[in-house]
Amino acid sequence: MIKVENLTKEFKLSKKQQKENNSSESVYTAVNGISFQCEKGRIFSLLGPNGAGKTTTLRMISTIVKPTSGSIIVDGVDVVSHPQDARAKIGFLTGSTGLYERLTPNEVLKYFADLNDMDKATFEKRRDYYYDLLDMHDFKSKKIGQMSTGMKQKVSITRTMIHDPNVVVFDEPTSGLDVITAENIIKLIRDCKNEGKTVIFSSHIMSEVDLLCDDLAIINKGKLLYSGSMQDFRDNMQTETLTGEFIRIVNEN
Amino acid sequence: MKKIIIIAKKEFLDLLRDKRTLVRMILIPLLVFPIIINLVTMVQSSAAEKEAAKKVNVGYVLNGQSSEMIESLAMIPNYNFYEFADSNALKKELLNDSVTVGLHYSSTFDQEYTDGKTPDLSLFYEGVNQEDLGKVKFLLQIQDSIYTDKRMRSIEQEYGFIEPFTIVKRDIGDDNELIAKYAGGMLPYFFLAFCFMGCMIPAIDMFAGEKERGTIETLLTTPVKRLQIVIGKMVVITTFGLLSASLALLGLYFSLNFMGMEGDFMDTIKGMLSPGLIGTLYILLVPLAIFFAGIMIPVSVYSRSFKEAQSILTPLNILVVLPAIFGFLPGVELDYTTAFIPILNVVLACKSLIGGHADMVLIAITFFSLIMLAGLSVWVSIKQFGKEGNVLR
Repeated sequence: MIKVENLTKEFKLSKKQQKENNSSESVYTAVNGISFQCEKGRIFSLLGPNGAGKTTTLRMISTIVKPTSGSIIVDGVDVVSHPQDARAKIGFLTGSTGLYERLTPNEVLKYFADLNDMDKATFEKRRDYYYDLLDMHDFKSKKIGQMSTGMKQKVSITRTMIHDPNVVVFDEPTSGLDVITAENIIKLIRDCKNEGKTVIFSSHIMSEVDLLCDDLAIINKGKLLYSGSMQDFRDNMQTETLTGEFIRIVNEN
Repeated sequence: MKKIIIIAKKEFLDLLRDKRTLVRMILIPLLVFPIIINLVTMVQSSAAEKEAAKKVNVGYVLNGQSSEMIESLAMIPNYNFYEFADSNALKKELLNDSVTVGLHYSSTFDQEYTDGKTPDLSLFYEGVNQEDLGKVKFLLQIQDSIYTDKRMRSIEQEYGFIEPFTIVKRDIGDDNELIAKYAGGMLPYFFLAFCFMGCMIPAIDMFAGEKERGTIETLLTTPVKRLQIVIGKMVVITTFGLLSASLALLGLYFSLNFMGMEGDFMDTIKGMLSPGLIGTLYILLVPLAIFFAGIMIPVSVYSRSFKEAQSILTPLNILVVLPAIFGFLPGVELDYTTAFIPILNVVLACKSLIGGHADMVLIAITFFSLIMLAGLSVWVSIKQFGKEGNVLR
């Protein structure tokens, strides 16, 4: 479970940044007092246009950046006071995630397993499970730099899941991927749900959200505009399409 | 500690698979000294061979005097002598470069010599032919001694009669001290420069490179402390710096001992490379390499890309070159001020060791000041890596 309360993130702006933003404010509020809850065994979608604060929110949940104020509890662990413990419970994947191109999948997976303190037997079992599931045996010893985007994505998925995290964070996971490669991610998200994991993913593609999520939150300019179940969202729509409703909520707020 | 080792192991593996790393940090340091020494030896021996084979064409105008001296000179190999009727003909050929030096006897040369006077023997030349002029002057000095000796015998006196005293030069200084004064800073500088270059590529690749490739975020979501990440990577940067310096040393050792090269240049370098010097150099190089890593990491952490980091760090080479150049200057010695100036202190410490007048207290101060700086740079690196604005820039 992920519990976010009154979460705020402010970034200090340099003089140069203030000029670039045409603003005299020395602080930029990327996330402004948002609260939501992601339940175990359900898929939560964070929806918003570009620059809404989705990535910053997910980065705070994943302990990459520290919140200015507010609290985040991941699987019972406070990520601000115990970031190390929280990280052990999180799997993190973004659409722009890179891999070590000079290493092979075997080496990358071993590296992340070691960093997550996995014992050898458990690591090998999980690695082989994903090799079978994603049909990766043919390229497990090939250098990642020589692989296709699809193969790389499979390695990224396995890397994210290797330590069997209870909470999985996806930041625009299908961004820049072709339909077939994106399908692997969609399948992974569904599998995570079926395994009882807590899943949060950000997107600005309404069809993807419709396909996957149980609960959603819409944010824009750092503020929470909507939070509820997907079913409630559908039931209370004032426009004919999901995309139209999303645009309406963003524009009206 | 376990996590630091895991990170360091992965970084070693990753870097050793990079061709750029292999060339810049392993191949170039290993081959640079054999190539330089080979080139210097080749140029030296080819210049010496050319010089030995070169003929000097000398013109002369006897002006009716005895050819005894010319006959004696003509017996020396590599000198050709050509007679001219008068000084105009001689000058014309000198300007045409068919001869490079000309001798012109005065019309009363023989008579004046016999009478105990000092006749003129004019030497014609063009200023650009200084080398040939020097050679002919040297031959004439010998002739001068022969003619003096003959004249002294004619009045039944020894040659020494006209030499009231002889100056005998006896250099009681240590050769090493002389080497240290003028060239002692060069050798350690080469190793410092390779150490710096060896640190640079890993420092850029492991921070700015990771940011550019989009792998840094993933690493930050693993249960590893920021401190462990920085230390793990710093170990690799420092090791590669020391590895580059060591390979340069190995290349130098190989050139001096197994390439069959001899000569003053080789002897000078061999004279510098004592085990004490190498040991001290390494003791000082370890904290210095950490200091280099500590300068590079914050820059690399701040940079958005490999190129940006490289464009900032490459001019920093001057930071290594400038203090080292001061260390080359004769008269600049390791003292209680210079021992605190990084890079310069290492060069001067090595210089004092080569010169055989090392003060161990000053070398210890050098070492501890470098340790302090290394510690400070590690702290700055950790702080900079901890800043969200830098890592996610």
